[in-house]
Amino acid sequence: MKYRFKMEKGEEIKFIGHLDLLVAFQRVLKRADIPIDYSKGFNPHQLVSFASPLGLGLTSKAEYGDFQLKEDLDAEEVRERMNKNMPDGLYISKLVKLKEGVKNTMTSLERADYEIYFPDYITPDDIKENLDAFLNQKEIVVMKKTKKSTKEADIREDIFSAEDISHDGKAVMKIYVSSGSTRNLKCDTFAEAFCKFINKPFEKYKFNYCRTQMYMKNENGDYVSLISGVEL
Amino acid sequence: MYKKIPDEILLQVEKPARYVGREVNMVKKDLSEIDIRFAFCFPDVYEVGMSHLGLEILYFFLNRRNDTYCERVFAPWVDMEEKMRENNIPLFALETGDSIKKFDFVGFTLQYEMSYTNVLNMLDLAGISLFRKDRKEDDPIIICGGSCAYNPEPLADFVDVFYLGEGEVLYDDMLELYKKFKKEGRTKQEYLEALLDFDGLYMPQFYDAEYNEDGTIKSFTPNHPKARKVIKKVIVNDMDKVFFPEKQLVPFIEVVHDRVTLELFRGCIRGCRFCQAGFVYRPVREKRACTLLENTKKLMESTGHEEISLTSLSTSDFTGFEELACGLIDEYKEKQVNISLPSLRIDNFSLDLMQKVQEVRKSSLTFAAEAGTQRLRDVINKNLTEENILNGCKLAFDGGWEKVKLYFMLGLPTETEEDLKGIAHLSEKIVEKYFEIPKEKRPRPVAVNASASCFVPKPFTPFQWDAQDTYETFGEKALIVKNEIKRKQVRFTYHNTMMSSMEGVLARGDRKLSAMLYRAWELGCRFDGWTDLFDFNKWKQAFDDTGLSIAFYANRERSYDEILPWDHISVGVNKSFLINEREKALRSETTPNCRQKCSGCGAASFGGGICHEVQI
Ligand code: SF4
Repeated sequence: MKYRFKMEKGEEIKFIGHLDLLVAFQRVLKRADIPIDYSKGFNPHQLVSFASPLGLGLTSKAEYGDFQLKEDLDAEEVRERMNKNMPDGLYISKLVKLKEGVKNTMTSLERADYEIYFPDYITPDDIKENLDAFLNQKEIVVMKKTKKSTKEADIREDIFSAEDISHDGKAVMKIYVSSGSTRNLKCDTFAEAFCKFINKPFEKYKFNYCRTQMYMKNENGDYVSLISGVEL
Repeated sequence: MYKKIPDEILLQVEKPARYVGREVNMVKKDLSEIDIRFAFCFPDVYEVGMSHLGLEILYFFLNRRNDTYCERVFAPWVDMEEKMRENNIPLFALETGDSIKKFDFVGFTLQYEMSYTNVLNMLDLAGISLFRKDRKEDDPIIICGGSCAYNPEPLADFVDVFYLGEGEVLYDDMLELYKKFKKEGRTKQEYLEALLDFDGLYMPQFYDAEYNEDGTIKSFTPNHPKARKVIKKVIVNDMDKVFFPEKQLVPFIEVVHDRVTLELFRGCIRGCRFCQAGFVYRPVREKRACTLLENTKKLMESTGHEEISLTSLSTSDFTGFEELACGLIDEYKEKQVNISLPSLRIDNFSLDLMQKVQEVRKSSLTFAAEAGTQRLRDVINKNLTEENILNGCKLAFDGGWEKVKLYFMLGLPTETEEDLKGIAHLSEKIVEKYFEIPKEKRPRPVAVNASASCFVPKPFTPFQWDAQDTYETFGEKALIVKNEIKRKQVRFTYHNTMMSSMEGVLARGDRKLSAMLYRAWELGCRFDGWTDLFDFNKWKQAFDDTGLSIAFYANRERSYDEILPWDHISVGVNKSFLINEREKALRSETTPNCRQKCSGCGAASFGGGICHEVQI
């Protein structure tokens, strides 16, 4: 039986990178004694996959992934057993059995939301006064680093929208951007572009981010969360 | 919530997970219910320290007490140290993130000599004065244990208490006493004096050393009426009853050994004459296989690990080995759990076993041959013949292995050029063995990796009096081996010769070295066990600046009547036995292992273990 989960990743565990998180997740399944299925072949591995790696230092309210069990267990029971064995900071908020024929989260992913928490040298006013103008640009050219080179890229099309959600005197922005294997915009690339636009330095280690949602397109072409409409 | 190190710093260092704790099975406690705070420091980086079984045992042992909170501290890697110093962040414990400066105890485990500068550096990062004489009443008690504590003298000026032996024995009583003294408002000094009642604890301040003109020790005498002349290590006699942690910490990042570790026994029956562990951990005390199987079950459930490792000094010598191995395979084979079997003797049974539990492709066969000729192997009492090795290889090659690792040592006592060339010859004979099997049965090329370490004479071994080669000589010897190797299938590597030289100095050092260590630390030495960070020139300068000589400590043969810096410590093995062993070594005579025949080393005085088992 295949399952899809939605998981939170909190402050306590945000410095654990993607590959280490995968290992930790597998150990949760083992401790919870959940009959995870293994791939066939010479080097069997647990059938678990995540939608998209989350960068080191980021938190998330909505990480998604799939796994396959050898048995058909009640989803709520699996969720409870897993949560009992989770390290601090990880929590499965939703778990459903998957319908037949649903593409995995990694290939379905098209869009994601993030919150950007700006450092103190950027004020709520900076955002309020500049966000519309920033979004009204025809093109937003940034330097994108690939493994081999750095090249110019226009990210305007990757930005669906952005909102000023500053509060308590802190500058916070929510952004809606493309994500996945075809088009992808990293939240720190957005933040850097915005800083450049308002002529402020981008001191990258002072920024915090939280991924708040991930979407796919349903059959009507609407963006829905990776876990909606997939339940058996 | 725990959060002491700013994100901004963690984002800028390599592997920030080293500094945040929160691993599965980490112990959490309410500080308002705690009387004693204990910092367990491992003087190396997180991944190394977290692979150390002793840490797991002591961590859970101390934390089983409701009044004590034992937290872990590791040496911050150089990038993190820089950030900490820049931002005035004192050394902190992983569990709470609190600075350890106000803890009751700061304990270090000494596993290798090259970590000594890290001990000093960690004290400094914690804001604790390095020298004992500079510390105040409200500073923590600095306590050191571990295998290097058996020659504590190089660290004598820095440390309050050396714990000689196994942690499970004394800590409860020591902590009870501490709590009592603290409640009664008595001083740290009074407490340290009270510890003189315990055997197994050495407080350097209660002893004075005098020296001869040539630098050797003239006298070493207690200066306190209660101080013992000789302090004897303490050990656990019944391994089936000793505290066993049902949990192990599960690190988030890959550490050196990422697995459930099972301790089959303590000690070793073999008595290889170069091996300190073989003498200081005597006698052998085994756990029963059924106890171990129970332990494993609990550990697997609490960790979710995918590998079990059987660790002890010479795993094959475990009497319950077959029962244990078969039990583990029955239980875990189907559960995708890998069983790792280091230090196995190679024979039909073990090969069969390895094929069952490991992936043939990945593993390579390992032989600790230690010396290139039979004569020299007899000198060191290494009970392994060329025939054993070649037969083992033959079996393994037939079974589908093609990688062989060989461990050797350069500079063993009595070594000649022939012995050195023997390293090359033995390696090549193994290659030839491979070519003896039919061509169609050897699809992959054979690879023999011979690696040599440089012999370091260690305290409490029969070679504790011997001169160590200089690093120049080590280099020349390595070349002799290298030049003798003709076959391209043999790869030869050897250990950093200068580092081995420093290890030689520290292993047999006396109190005078405290000053040198301090100077080395001042000059910036740390992580000296890491080849790329070890800087021999700094060490040489530290010697020059303190007027001490490397040769005096490393390259000088001692006479039997010289007072050795560790003579006031007893591991239970008599000096007369060691002298006898050395004489036998010089005559290439071997000594049977403890299971074949007791040689009366003295360790029977502990009243347990193999010395008191009925001999069959
Ligand atoms: S007393 Fe005998 S059996 Fe015991 S450790 Fe010594 S040699 Fe081995």
